[in-house]
Amino acid sequence: MDRRTVIKNLALIIGGAALLPACSQDKTKSKVALKNIDITANLEQLIGDVSETIIPKTTTPGAKDLLLHLFVLKMLDDCYKKEDQQAFVTGMEHFADQSQKLYSKTFDQLDTKTREAFLLDIEKEGKAEEAAAQKSGDKKDAAPATPPAGKYSPELKKFYSIVKRQTINGYTNSKYFMTNIVVYELVPGRYNAHFPYKQKQAV
Amino acid sequence: MANLNIDSVKERTFDAIVIGSGMSGGWAAKEFTDKGLKTLILERGRDVKHIKDYPTTNMYPWEFEHRGELPMAVQEANPIVNRCYAFGESAAHFFVKDAEHPYIQDKPFDWIRGYQVGGKSLLWARQTQRWSDFDFEGPARDGFAVDWPIRYKDIAPWYSYVEKFAGISGNRDGIAELPDGEFLPAFPLNTVEEYFRDHVKSNYKNRYVISARCAHLSTPNQIHLDQGRVQCQRRTICERGCPFGGYFSANATTIPWALKSGHATLRPFSVVESIIYDEKLGKATGVRVIDTNTKEAIEYYAKVIFVNAAALNTNLILLNSKSHRFPNGLGNDSGVLGKYVAFHNYSAHIGAEYDGAKEWTTDGRNPAGGGYIPRFRNVYKQETDFLRGYASGFGAYRYPQRSWDGVGSSLKDNLANKELGPWHVGSHMMGETIPKESNFVSLDDKQKDAWGVPLLKMNIDYDDNDEKMKKDYVEQLTEMFTSAGFTNIKASTDRRAPGLDIHEMGGARMGNDPKTSILNKWNQVHSVKNVFVTDGASMTSTSCQNPSLTYMAFTARAADYAMSEMKKGNI
Repeated sequence: MDRRTVIKNLALIIGGAALLPACSQDKTKSKVALKNIDITANLEQLIGDVSETIIPKTTTPGAKDLLLHLFVLKMLDDCYKKEDQQAFVTGMEHFADQSQKLYSKTFDQLDTKTREAFLLDIEKEGKAEEAAAQKSGDKKDAAPATPPAGKYSPELKKFYSIVKRQTINGYTNSKYFMTNIVVYELVPGRYNAHFPYKQKQAV
Repeated sequence: MANLNIDSVKERTFDAIVIGSGMSGGWAAKEFTDKGLKTLILERGRDVKHIKDYPTTNMYPWEFEHRGELPMAVQEANPIVNRCYAFGESAAHFFVKDAEHPYIQDKPFDWIRGYQVGGKSLLWARQTQRWSDFDFEGPARDGFAVDWPIRYKDIAPWYSYVEKFAGISGNRDGIAELPDGEFLPAFPLNTVEEYFRDHVKSNYKNRYVISARCAHLSTPNQIHLDQGRVQCQRRTICERGCPFGGYFSANATTIPWALKSGHATLRPFSVVESIIYDEKLGKATGVRVIDTNTKEAIEYYAKVIFVNAAALNTNLILLNSKSHRFPNGLGNDSGVLGKYVAFHNYSAHIGAEYDGAKEWTTDGRNPAGGGYIPRFRNVYKQETDFLRGYASGFGAYRYPQRSWDGVGSSLKDNLANKELGPWHVGSHMMGETIPKESNFVSLDDKQKDAWGVPLLKMNIDYDDNDEKMKKDYVEQLTEMFTSAGFTNIKASTDRRAPGLDIHEMGGARMGNDPKTSILNKWNQVHSVKNVFVTDGASMTSTSCQNPSLTYMAFTARAADYAMSEMKKGNI
């Protein structure tokens, strides 16, 4: 599938798009979106593999089954600032390079465990930086902390954080999730202000 | 609608013209048509028909292209309206976009507008508390603005009248500063909201936590079924428009009611450029309308004109209605038109956790939003270094804590977690602000919009009183939360521009003295007896209660008065 077809299919799976109000019922949206970011089919495959590592197929559907990687692209195209889109594209290349550098393989050649370890290591570095920034923010007069030279570039971390955020966003707002896992009621018809609840005992 | 392409004066003549089809205009139309008056309802925006024109109302979250979020291009093109909490993918079509209708901010003002039949009544937060004499006597007691020309007893029967028809849910709480009304059953407080209610009751004098009163049909009466509305289904996606008519909107209620009478003509796409004043007759004879599609100017005539264009647009129309007799705007002998605009201060919030009531949660959703804390500051006497006070929202919520940490099947498990976290509690401030001459709107003398109407200029700001009140809200609520045993208390204040509260009021205030006010005690222009203003523009002061219910009551009362004056031949 080329990217155009992919986006077109995406429009099809987003049921209800035809019901959208006039202000967002722009049938050329996908084409406009195609102009905002420019990625190759290979890189799109990479996003799919990262999304699938975040939300894998288990006994229940995974990211690729639910086309979450296409949702990531859709959101990136439409709902992010230009500088974030640019950082994403650059970061995606850094990500591919880093896979070669650290594991001497492309991401799709890695086994699941290694893929997970790779992603978790990126998260770990990002969190450590956030904590450090928080700490220096607490000290008012402290000189701005120079970020330690980590393994991963800021763009790589931006790429990963957008893929993760939008994969989870797409997953938890998917029809599958909202009809099978945490059921969304369009018409609850009730409000019970006092509903008994039994907390599980901590193990 | 061929019958609108008419050119004879007779066919453009009505008994009553209502400018605006929203919260208050819908009421004027209903009252007039109930009594058989031939009524023209003018709406500057498009028509929005109940149910039919709610395109997103039955959409599931996954059916929204961006799952509720607006594209960045839309957000960046609309910095003002994008600050409104309800401006999202599900309701953006009911909001005015920034570029469509420009205005001039001499001082920052977030003007949030809904230009369509029903106006902002589709989008409001549906909170409905009566005002009391602690509000109507406020300016006289505390020495600001001018004395209200009415007291609670004048408006109380009209509150009852509109409440019965609109459908207001609430408890009879017996609180003098928040009078009881004609209520449908209240939406109950949940376990932690009740806990806080009881704590406040036993530890504080004159402080109460009650079920928020709201315009929802908790249990409809026959009059609501007669309107074609049914019980509120507790969906809490009201800003999309409600196919059940579960909450009060002009679209579900007053407008179809007026149209059903056969006496109303609804004309959308009709912006009122000005009200026509006849020097010889000494009264208004009609309105000059610009068709927003064709840009054609058309005049309509009537015996009585109700201006319900929403507070600031009502000011604009009056200011732009210039004549030899009224060179500074219709009825503006006093020079106060456009001045003494005020709003509500919503710029403080507080959140915390409660480590208790673990064996309870809620089921379904609460359209009332939770609890309401009526104003407790400076009610019976002046007790702080600022004037007036604030009401507070209060709600308690519990939800599963779904960690986004990790990847893979463990993340999937985390996201599917149904185990509830602790209770969270939150409150927001709703502060009264003091109307001042220096807070005003005026017309730009050069720039005009696409229909030739001058642009409105905003000069509205907070003052020291607002800052002190905000500080007090944070202190008082922090203390109340602390003494209730809430933990992890976090107060936050922001620097939002006025307007985002969407409670702008005043500019054509009521008063006893024509030298210092525009309207008399009947919402009637002192010097133009057949023009009435019954929307937010008419308010002398702002109280801290949500104002819409009061606009409705003033409108029904003024319409009744106008019709009795017409019968007597006085107008």
